[in-house]
Amino acid sequence: MKLFLSLLMLWSLSYAEDATIEVIKRVDSLPSIAVEDSSISYDNTFKMRFFKSIVADLNVISIFNVDRHYRETHFNDTNVIVNNKDMSYVLRYKMFEDDNGALNVGIKLLKENETVLSKNYKVGRQDIYMFVSHAIAYDINEFMGEPSVAWMKRKVIFSRIIAPKKSEIVIADYTLTYQHTIINGGFNVFPKWASRAQNSFYYTALDAKVPTLKHVDIKTATVTTVISSDGMMICSDVSDDGKTLLLTMAKNGQPDVYSYKVDSKKYVRETKYNGIDVNAQFMSKDRMVFISNRLGYPNVFAKRLGSSEVEQMIYYGKSNSACSAHGEYIVYKARESSNAFSTNTFNLHLISTKTDFIRRLTATGVNEFPRFSKDGDAIIFIKNYMAQSSIGIIRLKHNKNYLFPLKYGRVQSMDW
Amino acid sequence: MKSLVLSGVVATLLVFSGCSSKDPVVDAQTQEVEAPAAQEVKAVETETVSSESSVISSGTDSLSMSDIEKQLTSVYFDFDKFNINADMQDKILNGATVANSAASAYSVKLEGNCDEWGSDEYNFALGLKRANAVKKALVAEGVDASRVAMVSYGESNPVCSDKTKDCWAQNRRVDFKLLP
Repeated sequence: MKLFLSLLMLWSLSYAEDATIEVIKRVDSLPSIAVEDSSISYDNTFKMRFFKSIVADLNVISIFNVDRHYRETHFNDTNVIVNNKDMSYVLRYKMFEDDNGALNVGIKLLKENETVLSKNYKVGRQDIYMFVSHAIAYDINEFMGEPSVAWMKRKVIFSRIIAPKKSEIVIADYTLTYQHTIINGGFNVFPKWASRAQNSFYYTALDAKVPTLKHVDIKTATVTTVISSDGMMICSDVSDDGKTLLLTMAKNGQPDVYSYKVDSKKYVRETKYNGIDVNAQFMSKDRMVFISNRLGYPNVFAKRLGSSEVEQMIYYGKSNSACSAHGEYIVYKARESSNAFSTNTFNLHLISTKTDFIRRLTATGVNEFPRFSKDGDAIIFIKNYMAQSSIGIIRLKHNKNYLFPLKYGRVQSMDW
Repeated sequence: MKSLVLSGVVATLLVFSGCSSKDPVVDAQTQEVEAPAAQEVKAVETETVSSESSVISSGTDSLSMSDIEKQLTSVYFDFDKFNINADMQDKILNGATVANSAASAYSVKLEGNCDEWGSDEYNFALGLKRANAVKKALVAEGVDASRVAMVSYGESNPVCSDKTKDCWAQNRRVDFKLLP
């Protein structure tokens, strides 16, 4: 029995870092944190809005049990509010408006009435307060020595269908609280960041005679035409250095994956199967996963760029029509009911190419368009469920999903 | 004794069947919760009609073109399929005839569409394969391939947004549009 137990322990230890294994019992042991407001400027509505944003961000970093009570105090009081005396940490912040109308926020992280972290933030406008809130949560997470949540500070770009053949492209923070419509009017879909710095992006314009890929430089507001193809033209992925694109084009009505060099404007046809090959995503610099129906149903395959050898990646499910890869992990969308006559369910699953484990990441509704964060810490996806379109974030290591609903329209595709 | 053994067996069977039926029951419940999904797209439907009618009335020059366009009827497809059914053959023949007579001065744009199940690239590709199937059929009936352009709109161009099988069937289609 002892031998069996120790073998079991060894086995479980050997998989301790595998993200396909669910973390179940961690919530009870998390340290507690309360938030105290010491703001001077601004009305109560805005104070409450900022407080809610901070509490939400602290929840998403998943390393605290966050107290949701709103309490006010003086910024320089040595002791925390009596109600918070048993908390492991207290975050105290002070918002004030300076002469230029900029929003200034000072924070103190208190542990047993000692300041362990203090920092100041400033943004030009009050209505972009959520980025300060995300930055505070990011810094606290860094201070606690947890794996980076750099994706929190990144921007999400998505296309929203507002009527048939009418869409807009929107840039937002990861919670969709801040939204800026950057392309209005027309039928434009599949936006994709062109670089890590997020200062330019690609999108597909469907209004032209043939679908056309366009590039937008946000700073100079210049739009340039990249390439077009009859039938279909989508930028599926951009390499880390921004120099190679994986495109889905359909020369002669045949959807295939092409790799495209941004500098030389030359492209190579990567898949040649006479069916559907789409949705290519870089696994590494010279390897990609993609969706193909070469077995008679959509499934996930992988290949090296420039080579013709194709490897099947998923052996579960009869309809896996979208995927994203990060290192050894692949997240894919599986159809869990196949029915022309009633509601269908699509769930996201995670597999590791090194083990045989499959972890189901979602439970209800239509979950699609999964995308790994650049560091692989989180997965962003679109959820359509009960008349609501949302963007979801899965924290793999913490086994938690967060949903941020869209106020109107339907998310067609997105990138972060 | 025999009956005792038998009833024992029956009792164990009952216990086991009780156990094994637990999971599927839970599944069925979650499925039921999902059923009354989404009314969201409904609002969009009214806009479909208005946007289409506005296109038709917008230019006086294009009136004759849109009149010809009305003679070209959409081709419908089965769930997850892109082959042309026998009952759609008449529409193809009609399309080829119109394209080579009344519409011979125009190019034909085939717009592939899908039902709402998925906004990903695969759905767009399915719409395109449908458009391509119609293109091949038109070419086989004598339409010049260079006059036919294709585009896929995936699920983004529904003509119907109710949550019914009839509605989904109406969205799995290829529309004919004329280009000057």
